[in-house]
Amino acid sequence: MKHDAIVIGAGANGLVTAHLLARAGRRVLVLERQAADDGAPDAGWVPPQLVSGLPGLDVRRPDPWIAVALPDGGRLELSQDLARSTEAIRRLSPKDAARWPAFCARMHRLAGFLEALYTAPPPDVESRDLSELVRLALLGARARRMGKQAVVDLLRVLPMSAAELLDEWFESDALKGALGAGGVLHLRQGPRSGGTAFVLLHHHVGSLPGVFRPPRSNLRQELAGLPGVEVRRGAAVLRVTVRDGRATGIVLANGDELTAPVVVSSADPRATLLGLVEPGWLDPEFAHAVRNIKCRGVAARVSLTVNRDPGFATLAVAPSLEYLERAYDDAKYGRVSASPYLEARAEDRRVDVHVQYAPYALADGGWDDGRRRALGNAVIERLALHAPALGPAVTQCEVLTPKDLEDRQGLTEGNAYHGELTLDQILFMRPVAGWGRYRTPIRGLFLCGAGTHPGGAIAGGAGRLAARAILKGAA
Amino acid sequence: MAPPRSYDAIVIGGGHNGLVHAAYLARASRRVLVLERRPRVGGAAVTEEVFPGFKFSMFSYVVSLLRPEIIRDLQLPRHGLHILPLESTLTPMPSGDYLASWADHDASRRELVRHSPRDAEAYDVYGRLMHHMAHAVKPILGMVPPDPTSLSPGDLLGLLRLGKHFRGLGAEKFHALFKLMTMSSADFLDEWFETDVLKATKSASGIIGTFLGPRSPGTAYVLLHHYMGEIDGVFRAWGFAKGGTGSVSEAIASAARAFGAEIRTDAPVARVLVKGGRTTGVALESGEEIRARVVVSGLDPRRTFLQLLDPKQLPGDLVDDIARFKFRGSSGKVNLALDALPSFTCMPGNGPHLRGAMSISPSLEYVERAYDDAKYGRFSRRPYMDIVIPSMIDPGMAPPGKHVMSIFVQYAPYHLEGGWNDQQREVFGDAVIGALEQFAPNIRSCIRHRQVLTPVDIERITGLTEGNIFQGELALHQLFFLRPAPGWAKFRTPVKGYYQCGSGTHPGGGIMGASGRLAALAVLQDGA
Repeated sequence: MKHDAIVIGAGANGLVTAHLLARAGRRVLVLERQAADDGAPDAGWVPPQLVSGLPGLDVRRPDPWIAVALPDGGRLELSQDLARSTEAIRRLSPKDAARWPAFCARMHRLAGFLEALYTAPPPDVESRDLSELVRLALLGARARRMGKQAVVDLLRVLPMSAAELLDEWFESDALKGALGAGGVLHLRQGPRSGGTAFVLLHHHVGSLPGVFRPPRSNLRQELAGLPGVEVRRGAAVLRVTVRDGRATGIVLANGDELTAPVVVSSADPRATLLGLVEPGWLDPEFAHAVRNIKCRGVAARVSLTVNRDPGFATLAVAPSLEYLERAYDDAKYGRVSASPYLEARAEDRRVDVHVQYAPYALADGGWDDGRRRALGNAVIERLALHAPALGPAVTQCEVLTPKDLEDRQGLTEGNAYHGELTLDQILFMRPVAGWGRYRTPIRGLFLCGAGTHPGGAIAGGAGRLAARAILKGAA
Repeated sequence: MAPPRSYDAIVIGGGHNGLVHAAYLARASRRVLVLERRPRVGGAAVTEEVFPGFKFSMFSYVVSLLRPEIIRDLQLPRHGLHILPLESTLTPMPSGDYLASWADHDASRRELVRHSPRDAEAYDVYGRLMHHMAHAVKPILGMVPPDPTSLSPGDLLGLLRLGKHFRGLGAEKFHALFKLMTMSSADFLDEWFETDVLKATKSASGIIGTFLGPRSPGTAYVLLHHYMGEIDGVFRAWGFAKGGTGSVSEAIASAARAFGAEIRTDAPVARVLVKGGRTTGVALESGEEIRARVVVSGLDPRRTFLQLLDPKQLPGDLVDDIARFKFRGSSGKVNLALDALPSFTCMPGNGPHLRGAMSISPSLEYVERAYDDAKYGRFSRRPYMDIVIPSMIDPGMAPPGKHVMSIFVQYAPYHLEGGWNDQQREVFGDAVIGALEQFAPNIRSCIRHRQVLTPVDIERITGLTEGNIFQGELALHQLFFLRPAPGWAKFRTPVKGYYQCGSGTHPGGGIMGASGRLAALAVLQDGA
């Protein structure tokens, strides 16, 4: 059977693109290198435009969304309910509790503006096109309608460091640690680096006021259950075939060739453009820009199997901004953090731990089993300090370093966001300057992954906008 | 003839911006009085004979960004301004090797080829791009920042003009500018070069006066400053002022006097007098009151708003904004009187390299680790240093056969853990000499006298809050319409007749004089 479009990768973005193309009457084939889906939930806000068409979509908003271990043994729990969080904060600092509602309102208004930016293609500030200019003007008008304070916040807060922002508002180390960690997720920067206030807001988009971590959903599974799209698993794409500067299909690792006039890759931009395309087809300057996409993986995933309740549903080790900053210092010089930031979530005899920083590139040699084991043990030990029940309950420990994520899932440098969310790599600069509209210099080859606008931690956001761009281009 | 007791304008602070401001007002026939707390004008741009026979540019030590229109309008060369070029940079490396750049482009290129032919190739392209970028940014330095929250026609027009300016750059330059504004200097340079010592030396210039390291986003922008220096109309030139940096201040002061301005030293101002929301003059610490319709503060924002005024006279949100404006001085200065010239291991003995700058920035990691110390409240054990020996070019700065060496040191945090005291100052001075000794082993034996200035000393002597040499950090969220506070970036204040003209306003930083000039234009525009 001939296909109108081939989509590489059956992640949330790939599947969203595939289904939106199919809904427009295209015959779509999705190729996925993993033989089976691991069933892990999709982390990230699901744009409302996608939700309406998916009746079985289950968006989970953990409550509390974070529980930071306190030095005295207690925990600071921040809930979906603002009033409840305020009470929890009051036990640490009445002053912070008094400021919490105002802070949440200010941040939520900014996140609302980001939401508007994230559900449309990135603004093209260089465009001479009238409709684009009108759109830019409307965006400006929208920002101004939010009021003077919000405009100042928008321009002032985004380039700030999360630490500076939080120090302006709060005194409690644990509160600042909990929030500050949201400013460095999957980023090779510490909370004192400029632009991390933006990352904090990025992870706030789509959540209730006072919730600074994206929700999780079953988006991938829900899409996989829908008809209309053919998904072939265990099919690793080796190369995109190009003729006369135009994509004509793909070659699989097993040698099979499949043709289609449109190829859409949900793999990251570096893996797609430098890994799947013959180098000769790209302009050297463009290739240089792609090579320079910063996607330095810094997070490891540790999955623990437990034989009884570990004593928590969620537990974070992020006691202060300085703790996070020192954890980053290690990564800066190519070492695993001696005291890493951890965020653990327990569910059905499984504990998943986000570990940061565990850099992709180590200064003294590479990742090996010994290092993996050491990292796993260090994580269990540190969590057990705050949850004594955990230690003896662990029966199995699996460690996925950024290197493993690259090897298994094809993520360049193991960066889950397909490119760090630094200010120079968002909006019209994502994935590279001037190519923010899902197209590539090769006609018929498109990008639809987290490496494009609006980036990681937004499930299906890029996939949706990419599909729209593809359909618009074809029409 | 007794001086008049009433003036059109009083300028508080005889730093370079205050003097530029006064000169422009006097040039427009206003009766102007400058009040300087210290016995000499100049603020942080002063030359002082710290040790008998040895003259130092005590704080600020190079001139690069002084606006050419100011040099022209005030005819500064006629008043004694003379810039001597500072053209080479030597970065010694621990291996005994070095990286040098010379006035002669071909020589620099050969030197770079020695390290990396690829980088030598890239360097020319990079230089061209940065040159274009500098041209793109220049008009912004001379522009009054429009307020994006305002609906006034003037602001809307300003925003439109700004938008047009950026769009006029074309995609490639606009994107490069966007990257420069948001990236870390290390990341930005990584895209261009592979030679670590080159990246370290370049990025070191991006951290001067900031509380950031080369890997902190926001530092790439300052790389541009190296391409913005404009002296006598020549782009990319840096220099010493003959007679030290103080002679720049003296030249501006002389121009101001020639236009009729009056300058009083040893005249510290206690507060600005306000009646019915309007300034009426100033009160000196001596109790003397001097009347004027316009009062302009050249001091930093914290002093301008919270010290010279009663905060109760200001809107609450402005008080909050100023209170959170970041200063955090991060640099110190060591001034040495030398009996003999230092000899660098990588380039022993006297030579043309001693006439330029010597940069102690052997690797990116070295500079980043220097920052790590400061982050946690310590001074750098192995600091970044920018060193010049002015007496090599201007022999009048030291007795015959002797020399003066100026060492700019980063990082020395104002908020030192445990606080600064006399002992800490000396420990810091020893660390500086110790770090320099690694590259110039004879330095200790050359030293006749040593002056160590910590941020606390800089604050005490010059009045710069927290010893910040730019009157407030040059971070993205403290620039343009946010400098010093949203809504108050156009040199005016909520008190009628009271203005600000220091580096704490747009565009701020360096001996540029742009703030002083733009503020004068604002005062004159208001018809004062």
